[in-house]
Amino acid sequence: MYAIHVENLIKTYGAKAVLDKVSLSIEEGEFYALMGPNGSGKTTLASIIAGVRTPDSGVLEIYGKKPEEAKELIGYIPQENFSSPKLTGRENLMYFTNLLGYSGKEAKNLVTGMLEHIELIADADKRVSNYSGGMKKRLEVATALFPGVGILIMDEPTSGLDPYARRSFFDMIRAVSGERTTIFLITHIGSDAELASRVGLIDEGRIIAEGTPDELKKEHAVQDVITVETAVKTDSVLPVLKGFSIDGKVAESETGYKIYSRNGDRVLADVVRSLDQAGHKVMRIEMARPTLEDVFFKLTERNIQEATA
Amino acid sequence: MIHISAAFNKTIKELLRERAALFWTIAWPIIWVLIGSFSFTGSAPPEVIPYIKGAITISMMVFALMIAGMANLPASIAGDRANGLLAKLISMPIKPYKDFIGRILAVVTLSLLAAALVVAIGSAVGARFTGAGVEIPQAIGFIFMVICASAGVGLIIGTLIKHLQGAIMTGVGIAVITSALSGLFAPYDVLPVPLQMFSRIYPISAAHASIVCLLAGPDMVGYNPLTYIQITLIIAISLVLLVAGIILYSRLSWKLA
Repeated sequence: MYAIHVENLIKTYGAKAVLDKVSLSIEEGEFYALMGPNGSGKTTLASIIAGVRTPDSGVLEIYGKKPEEAKELIGYIPQENFSSPKLTGRENLMYFTNLLGYSGKEAKNLVTGMLEHIELIADADKRVSNYSGGMKKRLEVATALFPGVGILIMDEPTSGLDPYARRSFFDMIRAVSGERTTIFLITHIGSDAELASRVGLIDEGRIIAEGTPDELKKEHAVQDVITVETAVKTDSVLPVLKGFSIDGKVAESETGYKIYSRNGDRVLADVVRSLDQAGHKVMRIEMARPTLEDVFFKLTERNIQEATA
Repeated sequence: MIHISAAFNKTIKELLRERAALFWTIAWPIIWVLIGSFSFTGSAPPEVIPYIKGAITISMMVFALMIAGMANLPASIAGDRANGLLAKLISMPIKPYKDFIGRILAVVTLSLLAAALVVAIGSAVGARFTGAGVEIPQAIGFIFMVICASAGVGLIIGTLIKHLQGAIMTGVGIAVITSALSGLFAPYDVLPVPLQMFSRIYPISAAHASIVCLLAGPDMVGYNPLTYIQITLIIAISLVLLVAGIILYSRLSWKLA
């Protein structure tokens, strides 16, 4: 039996299909990341799985049950910071602990244990308005990790966090979640999705690819990624770079371009020479292993960060 | 019970830590009790002045109750919706009615605290009240009608107005405008006839007139608000507003599209 089983799920707002026959199955204990740009339907899917929204049609089962019958099993962390800024961290946790029916000493012990787990015990009695973004997210994760919760659904939990805070957040998630806890992560950040055991890429309401991060990169033939920055960004750079990229695809960013090659180390010098001959001064060029953002670009010809912005 | 007390504890702490809520619910009515007590009693005979101050105190107490229900309650709901807390609560195995009972109890507590402070300050500056026996529990009954009607309107605003500032401004706007139109701040006699009709139908101004009649004397009210028809109307409309608010809140606020 799957922890989460979704089959042909459809959700429309007016005439727009936000989810278009989405199907996915997630095993118990699996860490699954759903990655896509804003408006791709990933938040809608997460909220449907969490029982917050209802689909128009399709099958959704949580451990074989309907979502409304499985609320005890789900810990949902919406994208927004939902903890009350006027309450302390301890008071916020006590609120959720009481809502779930714990009271008295049992509730106090549970809250203290959670605060220790998420390493917020020293700041437990400060108001949440004084917390950093990372501290707020850690506190909110605690509201989803009560005894009995088997599925943790996190919607863009690291948005707005710096790389250090993001790493520390996922370290904490590993430490506090049990081996059998299923994690469903919604993100548009490739490095976060790389931490998952399986990744689904979603675009315009459809899952366009699924697999382990390595499988996705191999399957979609994305090899080396060469990032080029020229002194001046003009349209005449593109034709030069297209000649070196697989399928002629070039991704543009604010500062430069990305091309994809199967033998980057050999192509690198040729790229510099060709640009030089075309009169473009190369300010920076570097080669890196591909990321999941590159896979997304390969599949959609859109940069996920730009699509998200 | 623990679910209700959780919602109550959270809401009351938030309200008591929110300076704007405290200002509009407690400080603002008290300021007007002070201004009214020293500015609007000049030409009255000395023996009547304490009862005019009593009537002003009651008006401001009712206004405090209105603001608590019509602005603080929707602010609490809209704020929780805006920051994603409602989505989080919907995902949890809890019942909506337990949440709104907790919220309403918190607003009732703040309302009673505000009412007590306004009456205490009014009394300190010379307000006197006529009622002593059965009038006091009767007046408390009408105070609860004001709270029911205000909370009902507040639940409707909090459900229909999605943005925090919009919910607060709508609540304050309705409280101020209906107070002015229904004669909460002015004698009933000076209102034009259509507004006199409104004043008798609007449960808050009608309950206010009943409280003034009971505690400051019938001379302070331009009509007899304590008839069976009038009292039945107050109770019926107050409860209709509260029930409508509860139904809308539990059906719409706890369901995302």
